[in-house]
Amino acid sequence: MAASWNEAELMAVLLSREVRDGEISACGALSMIPAAGLLLAQATHAPNAELIILSSPFMPFRTSRQFHYLAQRGDLGLFFVSGVQIDRHGNYNLHVLGDPDRPKVRFPGGYGGGMIYYAARRTVVFRTEHTPRSLVERVDFISAAGHTPPEVLRHGHPSKVVTPMATLRFDLEAGLLRLESVHPPHTVAEVAERTGFDLGDVSAVGPTPAPTDEELATLRGPVRARMIETGTYADWAEATLGAGLAA
Amino acid sequence: MGIPYVPVLGLAGTDLLARRDDMKLLPDPFHPERQTVVAQALRPDVALFHGLRADRAGNVCFGYESDNVLLAEASRTVIVTVEEVVDTLPPEDRAGTFMPGILVDAVVEVRYGAHPAGAPGAYPHDDEHLTWYAEQARSDEAFAEYLRQTVFDLPDHAAYVARFVPEGWGQRGQLRLQAAGD
Repeated sequence: MAASWNEAELMAVLLSREVRDGEISACGALSMIPAAGLLLAQATHAPNAELIILSSPFMPFRTSRQFHYLAQRGDLGLFFVSGVQIDRHGNYNLHVLGDPDRPKVRFPGGYGGGMIYYAARRTVVFRTEHTPRSLVERVDFISAAGHTPPEVLRHGHPSKVVTPMATLRFDLEAGLLRLESVHPPHTVAEVAERTGFDLGDVSAVGPTPAPTDEELATLRGPVRARMIETGTYADWAEATLGAGLAA
Repeated sequence: MGIPYVPVLGLAGTDLLARRDDMKLLPDPFHPERQTVVAQALRPDVALFHGLRADRAGNVCFGYESDNVLLAEASRTVIVTVEEVVDTLPPEDRAGTFMPGILVDAVVEVRYGAHPAGAPGAYPHDDEHLTWYAEQARSDEAFAEYLRQTVFDLPDHAAYVARFVPEGWGQRGQLRLQAAGD
């Protein structure tokens, strides 16, 4: 059966399912898919979720210091972040590729994620590319560490990694990412081949539950409309939600 | 700010922490069984700001809320350029970030001093100029040319304004500015 949704819609739906009602959930700047996911959650199963979408009208604070201390206090339930590279230990890199002293490419992240990864109760990393260069054995630069010794104070840990092909879950005890589910029509073998580290025992991995009609209708209707009305990635919402189906 | 150091929850195990000597992972003095990062406080010699309006006592209003005051508190010398200097800030200017004159060493009136960035309350970002800037910034040669045209070949700020700030830029903001300054 051919999918009747595009990759961005699929990821927005999967991210929305990570939002819990009554919690404060947030995403950073340039985060269109999580922004859609947050609004979808609020329109479906999490009507009492408080949302923070940085650089949008869904920003309750006037300065970044206020957001910083919200996270430091441990009041942030869920944060969505993207990383250029993510490794099997749940480390992510949003800083440089190559030798840090002579980087091939430099990215904007440095401090923000390196704080929130420890401060948010759960962090879900989203990555729109699932390849051996994005999911790697060891990141070139650790912007945020998945695991720290027990004496290091932190409120939370990475929770999941969501890509267009699969969802990985962070096994806190082992400090490793495990394959949780694969988005049909992709297969476990395909995901293993496109992942730059060993996924271990994948015998129990099943398919990701497909987006429901209600989720898709809400995303393409009220969520899309709300993003356009409020100027929250309006151009992206207009062009992406409900448009063009995955091949 | 201006305090010796700041504790931060986070950053442990990162290459950022490993590569810098101004942040350390240390036991919490009150709860020695747990560790947090402490970051050495910045003590800049000079901090520069652009505000909306200032008065003769050095009080500055920015017209929007920001964390600017933290940086002013931490810095040894604070210089503020503003769109307009007035004798005394009117009460309505207390909206947004207020920087008390006691933190400020010098105020300089520089109309359109934030261009091509915006000065909230006076004028917006100049997207056309910023697009040009972004293009020029792609190579060292082009950026040198940008600097030549916008900085080095110009005698003063008035020449910059005449050349690069669009006619009547931020007209509505300008009216508000004058009304409040009366």
